[in-house]
Order: sequence, then structure tokens, then C-alpha cells
Amino acid sequence: MIKFEQVSKTYPGGQQALRKVDFHVEKGEMAFLTGHSGAGKSTLLKLISIMERPTVGRVLVNGHNLSSIKRREIAYIRRDIGMIFQSHQLLMDKTVFDNVSLPLVIEGHTRKNIAKRVDAALEMVGLRDKAKNIPITLSGGEQQRVGIARAVVNRPPLLLADEPTGNLDPKLSMEIIRLFEDFNQAGVSVFIATHDLGLIARMKYRTLTLKNGQMITDGLNEQPNQGLYV
Amino acid sequence: MSLLFKGRAQGAEAIKIGVLQLLIMFFTDHLRQAVNSLGELWRSPFASLMTIGVLGFSITLPSTLYVLVKNTEQISQQWEQASEISLFLRTGVTDASAQQLLTRLRLWPEVAEVAYISPAEGLKEFQVLSGLGDALNYLETNPLPGVVLVVPTVKHSSPTSAGMLLNKLRKEREVEIGKLDIEWLERLYALIGIAKDLVTLLAVLLFFAVVLIIGNTIRLNILSKRDEIVVMKLVGATDAFIQRPFLYTGFWYGFLGGIMAWVTVLLILLWVDYSMQGFMEKYQVSFNLTAMDLSTLIVMLLVSVSLGIAGSLLSVQRHVKDIEPR
Repeated sequence: MIKFEQVSKTYPGGQQALRKVDFHVEKGEMAFLTGHSGAGKSTLLKLISIMERPTVGRVLVNGHNLSSIKRREIAYIRRDIGMIFQSHQLLMDKTVFDNVSLPLVIEGHTRKNIAKRVDAALEMVGLRDKAKNIPITLSGGEQQRVGIARAVVNRPPLLLADEPTGNLDPKLSMEIIRLFEDFNQAGVSVFIATHDLGLIARMKYRTLTLKNGQMITDGLNEQPNQGLYV
Repeated sequence: MSLLFKGRAQGAEAIKIGVLQLLIMFFTDHLRQAVNSLGELWRSPFASLMTIGVLGFSITLPSTLYVLVKNTEQISQQWEQASEISLFLRTGVTDASAQQLLTRLRLWPEVAEVAYISPAEGLKEFQVLSGLGDALNYLETNPLPGVVLVVPTVKHSSPTSAGMLLNKLRKEREVEIGKLDIEWLERLYALIGIAKDLVTLLAVLLFFAVVLIIGNTIRLNILSKRDEIVVMKLVGATDAFIQRPFLYTGFWYGFLGGIMAWVTVLLILLWVDYSMQGFMEKYQVSFNLTAMDLSTLIVMLLVSVSLGIAGSLLSVQRHVKDIEPR
């Protein structure tokens, strides 16, 4: 699903964010990306959503080389990738419904279909009764779940999350991770960047670790998780 | 269409809707966005009115001038048909011999009408029109010559044949100077030509200014929505989708500015018409100012709308592209 081949990224000014990163996350897999802040996690995710381009190497999603994607096509790529951010990236003056429906409005769905799908997405994250609220009145955990509902509302085959549990307490963090597990169970590939090592330690998923832009471990945390390596 | 995942349908394909429904959706979507943009203008009425005002006044000025030039042209056309020859008689020609001249001239086939203004009548009229009034009473003798006004027949009223008639009339022994009204008409034409060029120049300059002003307003609009645009780009909005509301904003600026220009031009014309009536009465001419006809109004609105859209297009193409999620 996500394949990095000898990828390096050097920012203008000489700061080297990634060095010869190589890995492959399979279709239907759920994997964590970890490392200290500044290790290159965000850069790596940005290369997948084409917010940045690699300096050297190839990034492939579902076998397609992203370097062949033109600027105009990036919007369409992002419709295939559900993205979740630590800062939520919600429209604070619009209702929860409007926020979650945004990807569908952009794709040009009918009103009826939008209402149906948004309803289903909010149901999944347990915020069905908050549809008319504006995000600012919600708690941090609820805002994050609005972001998740928005990411999955158009049923993308791939979910990327950048520090989705960043500001949440361990209990809420676990709830969020459980949500991701549900989506993964439904066949969605999930790739989560987090520095919350405690959270990862409690689970048995493949964990990629970055240090100073280099991939230092690529393997399963403790023991293999059956059924995920197909 | 999904670029990465073959067979994964995006958007409308996913729900398999008909062409007709797709078309209806297209229009309702656009209508909704247009109304939203209008609502946005409504929410900040003061700022919107200022921009609309700039556009409105910038279109009002050339439009008003255009209407005035057009009217002047019409007046001169009216007058050209009835070109009149004034014959100033030699001093010492008595009223009686002037009447003889009139009788002779009436027999000419080229002449439709003749009228005689005696020096005394001329002085009276001059007193009324010039506003010098009683001051003229202090003149010892009447300095004005007798004047014969000759109106050629329609056949002979074109500039060239009227010119020939003038030459013939000049040979009459009582005539000192003959003048054809067409001479000043030609000068007027030249002046109108220059005025037209100036109006065009002014219009072009103002239109450029309007495009830049609208462009800048939209730019500020875009920058103030930076966060929203970033979010939209993150969830897969194309530049075209993000640009649309701003283009509608430009459209509304243009549309409302155009309407404002209509109202202003009509008010100005009413006022000019009113003050012109008084002026015209003094010259015993009746003349109605032709107001704007429908086609002019439509052109004004179209120009205004295009300027609005052009300004916003200029801005949107640059600035929406520049905002990228980081």
C-alpha cells in the first residue's frame, strides 16, 4: 500500500529530514510510525499526501509512483487518503456536519447521499447527537473524532494519522486507537505516526522507528500479530 | 476518478446518477455558491459597499460622458438637416430694399424659406439674450446689420449644395457677408471626435483601476480565509473548487456596481436634463435629452460584471495556488 524506496528529503537550507528510508506497509495492514519529535515522522507522512516531494528516491502508493502525479492531480490523490491531524484542522466556524461533509461536497455527492454518509460516519465515532454543534464547543477528544469522521466519510482505502492522540489522556487515546482498529478490520490500511510509546507498547502492531531521519527499526512490537501479515 | 485505486469510484460516479440529475446538481451547486457569496458580502456591508461604490462610480463617469457625447451628436444631426444660411446685409440697406431682396430670393428654386430680421429687431433680441439690457440703450446708433435667414430646400440642404447656394447668395449686391451654419457644425464634429477619444481613454484607465481594486479586495478575502483553504486542500479540493466562491464574489461586486452605476447615471441625466431645459428655453429650442436605452444599460451591466470577474480571476489564480498546506 505504502512503499518507500531509498527516500531522502532535504529541505531548502540543508536540513536533512529523511535519509534513505525504505519500508513497505502492506494493503490492509495497520502500522505505527514512531520516533522523537524532529525525527522525520511528519515529513514522511507529508511525502505520502504530497504536501512535500522527496529529494531522492521513490514513494509508491498502491503501486503508483507519486513523482508522476502532477500538481493538478494532487487534489484527487488526497481524496483517496483519509488524513487525521494532531491540530484537527477543522473549520471552527462551521458545524460538525459541515466539517464532516466537506470531502463529499468537494466530490460532488447529492445532498441526500451526503446526509446519509455523514450520519453514518458520525455514528461510528459516537458523535451523532453533536452534528449541529460547532467544533469550538466540543472537547479535544470529540474534536479529534470529528476529524476522524471527516477522514473516513468518503471511505478511503488508506488512513494516515499524524499524532492523533497528541493532546489526549491515555483513556481517550485508547478509544481513538480502537476506532482505527475498527476501520482496519473493515479492510482500510492504517498508518499512524505517534511519539506516544506507551500507547504502542500496549499493542501488538508493526512499529517503524525513525531516528534523525533514518529508519532504525522496522518490525513488530513484541510478538507478531496474526492475520495482519498476509 | 481515482488515480491510485483502480475501480474505486469517487464522487458522483459512486452513486450512479443520471445526466439530467447531474446537470441539475451542477446548477443548484452553482446557485448555492452564488447565494453564499452574496451572503458573505451582506455580512460585511460597509466593506462591500465601499468596493461596490468604487466600481459603480468608475463606470458612472464614462457612461455619463458617453450619453452626453451621444446627445450632442444627435443635436448636431438634427441641425445639419435644417442648415440655415445667414446673410448679413451692408449697412445702409434700408428695410424696403431688404424686402425687395426677400421677394427676389423667394423665387429661387433652391430656397424654401426666407426671413428678415431688421437691425431694430436684432437689437431687441440681443438685449434679451445677452443680458446687457439697458446698457445697450446708451448706444447712439444701432451697430447691428439687417440679417436675412435663408433656409434651403431639403434637396439643397446637404453641406455641398448649401455651400454652392451660399456662393450664389454672396453675389447679391445687398449682401455683405454670408455664413453657413455648417461651418461651426464641422468644428463641433471635430470637437465631439476629440471628446469621444477622451471618454474612451478615461474609461480604459478607470476600468484598469477597477480590475486592480477588485483584485486586491479579493486577495485580502483569500488571505483572510487562508486556514479554511488549507483545510479544503487537505481533504482534496481542487483549485477550481476553492476559486469558485471568490469568482462569485467578483461577479456580485460587478453586478451590484453596475446597478449602482445605472441609478447614478439616471440621476445625473435627470439633473442635466432639468438644467438644460432652462438653458434651451432661452434659445427657443426644445430638446429632450435621450436617456439610456435598454441596450446601453445591458452593456453597462455586462462591462461591470466582466470587470468584477476579471479582477477576481486575476487574484484568485495567483493566490489560491500559493496557499498550500505545510
